[in-house]
Amino acid sequence: MEKRILTPHSGSLYPLFSSPRFLKKMLLPLVLVLCGFISQAQNKIHVSGIIKDDKGNAAPNATVTVKGTKIGVSSDANGAFGIDVPSEKSVLVVSYLGFQPQEMAVGKQTSFNVTLALATGTLSDVVVVGYGTQKKVTVTGAVAMVKGTDLVKSPAVNLSNSIAGRLPGVVAMNGSGEPGYDGSVIRIRGVNSLGNNDALIVIDGVPNRTGGLDRLNPADIESMSVLKDASAAIYGARAANGVILITTKRGKTGKPELSYSYNKGWAAPTILPKMLDANEYVTMANEIELYKLDPSKWAAAAAAYKATGKYTDPSTGAVSTAPFSPDDIKKYQDGSDPWGHPNTDWFKTVLKPWTNQSRQNLQISGGTENVKYLASLGYENQDGQYRNSATGYKQYDIRLNMDAKINKYISTSIGLTGRQENRFFPTKGAGAIFRMLMRGYPYKNAIWPNGLPAPDIENGEQPVVITTNQTGYDKDTRNYFQTNAKVEITNPWIKGLKLTLNGAFDKYIKQGKTWVTPWYVYNWSGFQADGVTPIMTKVQKGPTTQPTLNQASFDQVNTMLEGILSYDHNFGNHSIVLLAGVTKEQFHGGGFNAFRQYFASPAIDQLFAGGLTDQRANNNGYDPFEGARLNYFGRVGYNYKEKYIAEFLWRDDASSNFPANHRWGFFPGITAGWRVSEENFFKNNVTAINSLKVRGSWGQLGNDKLEKPNGTLHPYDYVATYVYGTYVAGGQVQSTLRENVPPNPTITWEVANNYDFGLEGTALNNRLSFEFDLFWNHRSSILWDKSGSNPLTVGFTAPATNVGKLDNKGYEFKVGYTANVGQVRFNVGVNGGYAKNKIVFWNETPGRPDYQLNTGHILPTDVNDPDAMLLYQYDGVFATQKDVDANKLDYTGVGGAGKLFPGSMKFKDVNGDGKIDANDRVRSNKSRIPSFQGGITLSASYKDFDLSILFQGASGAEIFFQPETGTIGNYVQRQYDKRWTLDNPSSVDPRTVDRNNQYFSNRNTYYMLNTNYIRLKNFELGYTLPANLGKKAGISRLRFYVNGLNMLTWSHTKNIFDPESTSSSGQYYPQSKIINTGVTVTF
Amino acid sequence: MKKIFKTGFILLGSAVLITSCSKSFLNTQPLNQAAAGPTWSDASLSESFVTDIYNVFHDGLLNQESMDCISDNCLYNFGRMDIMESNISPGSTGWVNNTYEWGEMYKRIRAANLALTNLANAPIDKAMVDRLKGECYFLRAHCYNQLLRYYGGIPIIKSAYSLDAPDLTIARNTYDECVKFIVSDLDSSKLLLTGKTLAAGRANADAAMALKARVLLYAASDLHDMPTAKTKSTLLNGYAHPEYLGYTSGDRTARWTAARDAAKAVIDLNKYGYQLNLSAPQSKDAAIASYTDVYLSRNGGEKETIFAKYYINASTDDWGAWYVRNNGMNGYHGWTSTEPTQNLVDSYEMMDGSKFDWNNATHAAAPYENRDPRFYATVFYDGAKWKPRTTDGAAIDPYGELQFGTYQTGSSASPATYFGLDTRNSNIENWNGTRTGYSIRKFSNDNPAIVDMNQKQEVPSIQIRYTEVVFNYIEALLALGDEATATTWLNKIRFRAGMPAITETGAALVDHYRNERNIEMVCEEQRFYDCRRWMIAPTTLGNKVRIMLVTGKLKAGQSAAIYRYDKTKYDYTYTVQNIESGVENRKWDDKVYFPPIRLDEMNKNSKLIQNPGY
Repeated sequence: MEKRILTPHSGSLYPLFSSPRFLKKMLLPLVLVLCGFISQAQNKIHVSGIIKDDKGNAAPNATVTVKGTKIGVSSDANGAFGIDVPSEKSVLVVSYLGFQPQEMAVGKQTSFNVTLALATGTLSDVVVVGYGTQKKVTVTGAVAMVKGTDLVKSPAVNLSNSIAGRLPGVVAMNGSGEPGYDGSVIRIRGVNSLGNNDALIVIDGVPNRTGGLDRLNPADIESMSVLKDASAAIYGARAANGVILITTKRGKTGKPELSYSYNKGWAAPTILPKMLDANEYVTMANEIELYKLDPSKWAAAAAAYKATGKYTDPSTGAVSTAPFSPDDIKKYQDGSDPWGHPNTDWFKTVLKPWTNQSRQNLQISGGTENVKYLASLGYENQDGQYRNSATGYKQYDIRLNMDAKINKYISTSIGLTGRQENRFFPTKGAGAIFRMLMRGYPYKNAIWPNGLPAPDIENGEQPVVITTNQTGYDKDTRNYFQTNAKVEITNPWIKGLKLTLNGAFDKYIKQGKTWVTPWYVYNWSGFQADGVTPIMTKVQKGPTTQPTLNQASFDQVNTMLEGILSYDHNFGNHSIVLLAGVTKEQFHGGGFNAFRQYFASPAIDQLFAGGLTDQRANNNGYDPFEGARLNYFGRVGYNYKEKYIAEFLWRDDASSNFPANHRWGFFPGITAGWRVSEENFFKNNVTAINSLKVRGSWGQLGNDKLEKPNGTLHPYDYVATYVYGTYVAGGQVQSTLRENVPPNPTITWEVANNYDFGLEGTALNNRLSFEFDLFWNHRSSILWDKSGSNPLTVGFTAPATNVGKLDNKGYEFKVGYTANVGQVRFNVGVNGGYAKNKIVFWNETPGRPDYQLNTGHILPTDVNDPDAMLLYQYDGVFATQKDVDANKLDYTGVGGAGKLFPGSMKFKDVNGDGKIDANDRVRSNKSRIPSFQGGITLSASYKDFDLSILFQGASGAEIFFQPETGTIGNYVQRQYDKRWTLDNPSSVDPRTVDRNNQYFSNRNTYYMLNTNYIRLKNFELGYTLPANLGKKAGISRLRFYVNGLNMLTWSHTKNIFDPESTSSSGQYYPQSKIINTGVTVTF
Repeated sequence: MKKIFKTGFILLGSAVLITSCSKSFLNTQPLNQAAAGPTWSDASLSESFVTDIYNVFHDGLLNQESMDCISDNCLYNFGRMDIMESNISPGSTGWVNNTYEWGEMYKRIRAANLALTNLANAPIDKAMVDRLKGECYFLRAHCYNQLLRYYGGIPIIKSAYSLDAPDLTIARNTYDECVKFIVSDLDSSKLLLTGKTLAAGRANADAAMALKARVLLYAASDLHDMPTAKTKSTLLNGYAHPEYLGYTSGDRTARWTAARDAAKAVIDLNKYGYQLNLSAPQSKDAAIASYTDVYLSRNGGEKETIFAKYYINASTDDWGAWYVRNNGMNGYHGWTSTEPTQNLVDSYEMMDGSKFDWNNATHAAAPYENRDPRFYATVFYDGAKWKPRTTDGAAIDPYGELQFGTYQTGSSASPATYFGLDTRNSNIENWNGTRTGYSIRKFSNDNPAIVDMNQKQEVPSIQIRYTEVVFNYIEALLALGDEATATTWLNKIRFRAGMPAITETGAALVDHYRNERNIEMVCEEQRFYDCRRWMIAPTTLGNKVRIMLVTGKLKAGQSAAIYRYDKTKYDYTYTVQNIESGVENRKWDDKVYFPPIRLDEMNKNSKLIQNPGY
């Protein structure tokens, strides 16, 4: 396995970081050299002092550093410290967790008594908002923020998996742990639209960059801000679902600093389904056959199956054979025949208990007053969960952020990012592979006792083989090259006036190559005469007898040009901010794929070597497209003494997604705040509360992502177009044209009216901070097709029209408390967000009863198939024939009803008409998206140790779960344990069902699982070498840590799947838990 | 210096704002679609649009689930068919091939209507316009006929709705009106296409004529003659809108005559038919070969094809090309989706023309011997020879002979039970094994190079074939009392099949014709309608599925290391029984003559009136 990883990659960081040996070979000499430099002593001045907290207690382990250098010491148990500073010009910086850092110029003073002030977390913090930053105290919008230093604590390879539980009002659901596709779906304040619900992601001021946030290197991130309300209005027609602003780290003035971190992690599935063993499975398989008989014969037939494996109907003479004879069953039980009667755990056979991942990061930063730089190199390697896995993910990334001050009036900055993402897969997708594992028959071998792969389940699907590179490969390489540059010109004659010019050029290249070769499994047909040597036959499997190749290439360029004029000034107690800008954005992309087969040999995996016969080339999946936007935007801010604060934001937005006369939209936002605690009446009367702000906002925002009910983004619905297809005529594949959707010439964006009311403040000497928000979002003009009421005879799919309406209401809170107990300083935080949506207008199918309407209910999990949320109401099980006979309801209107048998489910006759039919289905008011998601954070430090813990939970979601079971595949344990049997006739759970072909396999409430959960999402325990120890080695900081992701989970879906799963069949690559160890060294 | 700065600042600021003022860059175009307007002034784009309508045929006969699974001929392996248990309702309409689905048909009808409207004034070559219109008329007629024969009278929409049409509701047209409309479309099609050669896969004038023969035959049948239908069904008798289901009055003889003439017109083209000129039965082997050549469209058998959908390996639309995988035996890694029933197998005559009889000891002891040659070309039965198995199966059965039974291996003294490779107890993919003891051979390419599930086949799905037209002709003749001509034509079909001439007359002749039609046309989407048209559904479609259990017992003193079909070594027992009611519990209810219109469609279109019994 290591061999595969060691394949050289030209131009990669790989050779540098190839193994942990790097540490020994490269790092140590480097350390020694650096030590040499640093130990060049200068004219040092020794200063000393005592550090005390706000209550006069000694502050042990506080850090004292010399500003701009890496010289630093820690205070002792009495808060005392001593340090050598280079000169009288040196500035001491005292930091202590939970307190505001304090700076002191040394001058002639050699002894210091320092009293620290509690960090309130509100006084000096700065928050990134749209096109600027604001002091936290004057922010009047609902903005949540997380720092890069918190995100980096998570060992998740995909950044989107580090968000859950950290930002109130941000729901993140991780649907899969498959390397390369392990991102979370992020929803700000839940679901707000029938269409697209994705937030706009802005990275370093550039909206909607290819690749999004998932693959950003967390070590490069300074902060992530989420604009949840009208504060997003400045992003106009893309802001309705909220905006996530990501700011990357930049260099700081000071000596060059080199920091290197190495992480080694081990990942495992959080929860795997517990499947039946061979004995349990064959028991159920026999029941399947038994229940095909008339129920009056079940008891006799069951006894006959047990005795002889065969039942003959005494009245008709019809014979029924049990699939598994008593002799078979005995062998499965006693394990005496590993070749013919094995007991296979397919999950264990195919999956490793733990798999590897590693991440390395090298960062160099520093600068002078005029030039600052930060360069970062990252490398990630993530292996798949399969043994000898063909699945894997590798990433190489580089970032260079530079800021230069050209002169007093002009400064520039440049950001360059390069990233290569290599995804590797076997030739079948994870869904297919986990389908194989779920289906795998425990009574069949996956691997023969002699180590050879056993036969496929069907279609060549043998997961032991398919998960490796024996079937070929499926590679997906994505390259991102993203640049942005900024020039800021300040006008020396009008103080506060500034012109900012931004430009961005982003290039994205994706290449895919799927090479499928025949593969082999082995058939066993008994033993040779010696009775021990197995007779094996090698069997070829695969799509054809010869390899096939599919190769694809896609290229996209996004450009952005922007000019912003801003003015920022204080007039005594009045402070104003004015900003206006214009942005032009263009996108182009396109690609093709090519297919050849009839390769003479599997030795050459290149297109030229394939046969010309039946070759194909097309745009499928790589359609060409172009798009453009033009936007004008601005901000007007005013505050009086930072007490009364108001802001107006706007954007005039045009998008090529819409016809010229419906293209422009104006999106305003108003936010206002009142810092009550600044008022004298408050200051004089309320002492427990240190600060209190009330704020409110209203904004009208837009959503221009034309996601149609079928889930595709379709930007040209205003033009009459025909889409391509094929048909065979005259012995050739002919291209055909088909009307897709008739055009809607008036199509335009969705409108969101978002209201927010917030309250925030601090209390108990600023130890307690709190924040509370109420919101009401009303989305209208949602693109929705009218098919609901159109009869099918019209023959067309109605185009999306701006008719849908959705309300979404909820709240968020965040409470934090900082304190110290003895030498332990800790911080506790609780946050959460609740959002519940309700459809206000949906084009309903007429004639349905109220309890089936979408209107008034939550947005269905799958808007394309809203009727999947119409559930028959499970009402127990017919335990006996007597119960069946007592039944008065007519079940013939439910598909698949056949005959009612004992062990079948009962449904409620909701409308009381004596018939169970489609009208008895009731719309569920829960979806797969949790209505509440929250987190509890704990952080503590003691001496050189630090600990942070994040518990995260969600509630209010449900999922339909019905695995593919029966003769086609294995059952999950729960189905076995609880099932109705002749001996134990349950009135709660149904009898064994084959392939979900009973009427009660129709969607009903029995199959809906509650997916509430709480999990230990993230923890990190770190140890930092005391500064004085490190200093001797030239190291300014050395930290060791252990962290983890999803380490513990409590949910109702134990032994089935992870509660964040979105799969109704369980056939998906499970989410990962990760334990990781790492070291960060800074010079 | 100050001035320069000021000016520069203003210039720069303005530059940014001004460059953005040209807004034409916002007028981008869709690059992955064709603009609708120019399509209709370009002959080849117009052709592309019309060609797409042919996708209405989907996988037709070669669908994984054959239409015959909702008849007495076959059973579907994966789940009960609600329609066969009479468990259908407007809220749960049961499965039918998508080539009959209401929404799908109306989607294609709209496309044909759009094309007809746009072609009317298209500035392209008239010959091309005529051809395309001719194809559109055929396709529209086909769609309406699919709906008509499934649902009865349906709303006829002659031109595409515009988006802002104020009223989208529409009432059903009567059966009579529908037939008239379809026939008129087919006549137009014939007129426009006559003299034009169309590529294989497109409909020509002959296809229009043949489809017309089908439509008119159906129109003349019992089910659609309401006075007759009402005497045979109380439910239909009580229905308030019989005009949707058939003719309430009128001259039935004229209808039969029209059906006869339409079929005769196709026959008179003298262009189609394969080996229908024999004067005596051909040999068993030759008969098997001709039947196979017809359904595989090869060696001259393609002369039967009037219209077909084709599959080629270069195409990605290929579910029908996977027919062998979808329907082959599990012992060959197939899925055995469509399984012939014992009910079908029993309806094959003996080669001498006598009926097969389980009470005849000779028949019962060897049910697969001396049967109608078409049986051997249609059904996979126990012991039948097929292709070599894949390596895994070949180790167990090196002979490529089907194993649908339970046998013994070892010695007769201490035999071991061995379950055949193609059963539900097989070593290979047993969950895909047959439940009836048979598998479908018809349409399977016997080329051994096409291996189990690994390769597609290029066998076309024949939508209209000449022999059906001949049968339609015969049926009309019989109704009109011309038994002599009918028998002559019927015997032509029988001679090709290696079967002796029919000599019966009267009701017996009609029965024989009906059986002959089913045997010849099995799995060609006839039986579902024939049983209804003839109103024999209660005694055919309503019968329980019967299945075959084969056992092979070693004769005394015999032994076998591995199993092979061998009458000298084994005593075979053939047991027929009803399928377990838990698999499919077939039951006929007269409401199933016409399926329900979906509840939602009824609700959306207040003018619709539901079929009887729902």
